[in-house]
Amino acid sequence: MLKLLTTAMVAVAFAAPTVSGPAFAAGPDLGKPAPDFAAVDTNGKPVRLSDLKGKLVVLEWSNHQCPYVRKHYGAGNMQKTQGLAQAMGVTWITIISSAPGEQGHVNAAEANKLTVERGAKPSTVVLDPEGRIGRLYAARVTPHMFIIGTDGTLLYKGGIDSIRSSRQSDIAQAKNYVVSALGELKAGKQIADADTIAYGCTIHYKDGS
Amino acid sequence: MMRRWAKILGRALAAAAWLVAAPAIAQDSAASDTVKTDNVSARLVSERIALVPGETAWLALHLTIRPGWHTYWLNPGDAGEKTEIAWTLPPGFAAGAIQWPAPQRLLEPANIAIYGYTGTATHLVAVSVPADARPGETVTLAAEARWLVCEKICLPEEGKFRLTLPVQASGSVAPVEGRWADIFDSARAALPKPSPWPATFALSGKTLTLRVEGAALDSARIESMEFFPNEPGSITPAARQSVRHDAKGFTLTLEAASRAGTLKAFAGVLVVKERLDSGTVTQAFALAAMPGAAQAAEGSLSLGLALLMALAGGIILNLMPCVFPVLSMKALSFAAHGGGGRMGRHGLAYATGVLALFAAIGAALIAFKGMGAEIGWGFQLQEPVFVMLMAYLMFVIGLNFSGLFEIGGAFSGLGGKLAGREGLSGSFFTGALAAVVATPCTAPFMAAAVGYAVAQPAPAAMAVVLALGLGMALPFVALSYSPALLRRLPKPGPWMERFRQFLAFPMYATAAWLAWVLSLQAGDGALLAALAGAILIAFGLWAWSAARNAAPRGRRIAAAFAVLALAGAGALVVWAERGTPARDTAAADARWAAFDPAKLEALRREGRPVFVNFTAAWCVTCIVNEKIVLKNDAVWAAIKKKGIVAMKADWTRRDPAITRALAALGRSGVPVYALYPPGAGTPALLPQILTESIVLTEFAAFPDRPAGQRAGQ
Repeated sequence: MLKLLTTAMVAVAFAAPTVSGPAFAAGPDLGKPAPDFAAVDTNGKPVRLSDLKGKLVVLEWSNHQCPYVRKHYGAGNMQKTQGLAQAMGVTWITIISSAPGEQGHVNAAEANKLTVERGAKPSTVVLDPEGRIGRLYAARVTPHMFIIGTDGTLLYKGGIDSIRSSRQSDIAQAKNYVVSALGELKAGKQIADADTIAYGCTIHYKDGS
Repeated sequence: MMRRWAKILGRALAAAAWLVAAPAIAQDSAASDTVKTDNVSARLVSERIALVPGETAWLALHLTIRPGWHTYWLNPGDAGEKTEIAWTLPPGFAAGAIQWPAPQRLLEPANIAIYGYTGTATHLVAVSVPADARPGETVTLAAEARWLVCEKICLPEEGKFRLTLPVQASGSVAPVEGRWADIFDSARAALPKPSPWPATFALSGKTLTLRVEGAALDSARIESMEFFPNEPGSITPAARQSVRHDAKGFTLTLEAASRAGTLKAFAGVLVVKERLDSGTVTQAFALAAMPGAAQAAEGSLSLGLALLMALAGGIILNLMPCVFPVLSMKALSFAAHGGGGRMGRHGLAYATGVLALFAAIGAALIAFKGMGAEIGWGFQLQEPVFVMLMAYLMFVIGLNFSGLFEIGGAFSGLGGKLAGREGLSGSFFTGALAAVVATPCTAPFMAAAVGYAVAQPAPAAMAVVLALGLGMALPFVALSYSPALLRRLPKPGPWMERFRQFLAFPMYATAAWLAWVLSLQAGDGALLAALAGAILIAFGLWAWSAARNAAPRGRRIAAAFAVLALAGAGALVVWAERGTPARDTAAADARWAAFDPAKLEALRREGRPVFVNFTAAWCVTCIVNEKIVLKNDAVWAAIKKKGIVAMKADWTRRDPAITRALAALGRSGVPVYALYPPGAGTPALLPQILTESIVLTEFAAFPDRPAGQRAGQ
């Protein structure tokens, strides 16, 4: 009888679902609308995500002095990926969220110079020294990659490839998640690895903002 | 300002030490040359000066990291990369994986956290030496290590190491001495130990709960608890981890990250900081949790939904076996009044009573939490005194319903004068009483709901607790405002008396359940005390009731009996509280004798040394010492050889004899390891963190006991 009573009470206890605190800073969810943002690019042109509806958009967080960014630009891997995206008509936005005085911070002229020097092929480069866009997407590292669908939903978030290292020699063995996701989108297929682990240097955000 | 300068000075000193550290060490046969990069000074070291065929040699990659910089653990967290070693070994040699010391969590701006090491990091690797390695030869072990070292910026660095060691035939190969030996010792101490407790995990929305069973730890002594998962992407490294302790273990609530859904098992390192008499001790446990469903108590709901749930939960409380009878009687008393506008005021008074009590409990909860205690709702039920008093209360209400005695005054709504008039204060107190009697029935139920509240900031926590109370009061308020509902209640009549008598039985059942809970907490002695107390109460109340109707002389005698009986019941509560729970005899190790001060003295007079292990089930360090050291065969071989008597003083429950023995040793907490020499000498106290060699060295001080006398140990 007593056991029965206890069992009944425990059953009631677990039948009532309870809750945890609000999830914070986990970033946008896949399949949900990607957070909209507006900025002025390094050529002084306004960029607004919601204006790009109908196009695939790739966001790439960058810091040219980070060893992981250097790995992919040094080996030409990032440029190759950008070229492939360009050929598909994708809008590629490189975002630099380093705060003033921190590693990777550049002004518009320096950013444009970098693009030329590295032979990079982004559609546009956006400076985000306040970290607003970065925090909106909970971008943690450089490089951190996002793909946004033609309808504005988030389709991919994560790393550039599958091997967490700063060695260029690992690129050949790694699976380039952005290349495969774009390929799958082109073929009208589901993205197999839509949520991967981004690796790299932490983004040097402005404190407290 | 002072602090800032102290910090700068400290950094400067650390930096200076770092600069001189490596070069100061001369060429060393068991260590490679130092590789010095911009931010790290690194060496490959062998634990022994030679290799033995067929055995395992332990090597260590030891990094001394520039102050302010860090390297990374197996799972680097939000960013970074683990340290890697690639080996080039002679044929037949094989290197194992890096044995990772427990990491630290380092927080960075923007909700980013990494797992890694500051100061020094020692990576132990086991290298197996082939059986056909030829003694007399020298062997070169080469390694190429890569590490990422970061402050604000990150630099990948690397080093090449060569270690040339002779092969020696088996026998005694001296370990390296001095600094390198210390490095191996502290590296082993920093390795996570296998967890002594089984664990399960459950994913629910964005919450990953890790449930650890069988570790009823003393939450007041746990300074912090932190879980580091082996798998990147399983939890958000920067998110707060909250711990809830209960009688059977503890639950860690973690924020799930994107890859949590793919986990087959949830493995990682649990780092526990425990306060001991000697200071704070850090223990790390390797834990592999299997999927489990039952503890998925926390989902990811918003505060709004939490409030809604609490409200619904409160309504359900009305159906609990201990609450329902009380409410039924109250409802019927309303019906007897015939409803009408005045009843609404009674309903509000009742609701105020319920809410006042819930607010008090919520405030207590928040206050305890503010004092740093990790508590959940069930905290009151962990106290045997509270459980026993609640059992008495249920029993007394039952007796009242059975008609053994009647109460006048404020609580009249409870008892006899069902249809009689009662003030608003009566309704208020009925509400408060209903909330009180609800607590024991609902502790397990509320534990889940309030578990959420406890993890929240104070206003949200209070809101959830009050929503629970509001839910409980709601049906009653509705009843008091709706004449239509009131009319639906059955008409008062003689049947009500019988109904009231029937409702006594759920109250008795609840009392019996509480008595059973008490027996688990404080043993069968306490159960006996509770039953005897119940009889005394029944007798006392009967005598009191009899006194009211007796002549003046008889009244005094009956009243005296009543007072004596009730006092006796009170005394039994105090006595029961000192009982000990039934111990888990299956788990007990027969090699340990139970602690007994008289026996201890007698044995010492006989010339036997006695080793007393003062321990408790809720003490992490005690458990670790037992699992890692005290159960070892080498320790028991020495105990046997030296004729030592091993006693275990289990302080899981308060025990005055053990408390006195501890006080005599100048200690007030466990663990304490005391080695009493034969005769009357001062006992030797071993350190609170044991190693096998410490124990064996202490035991070696005694002469061997002649073989013939060992058996009778």
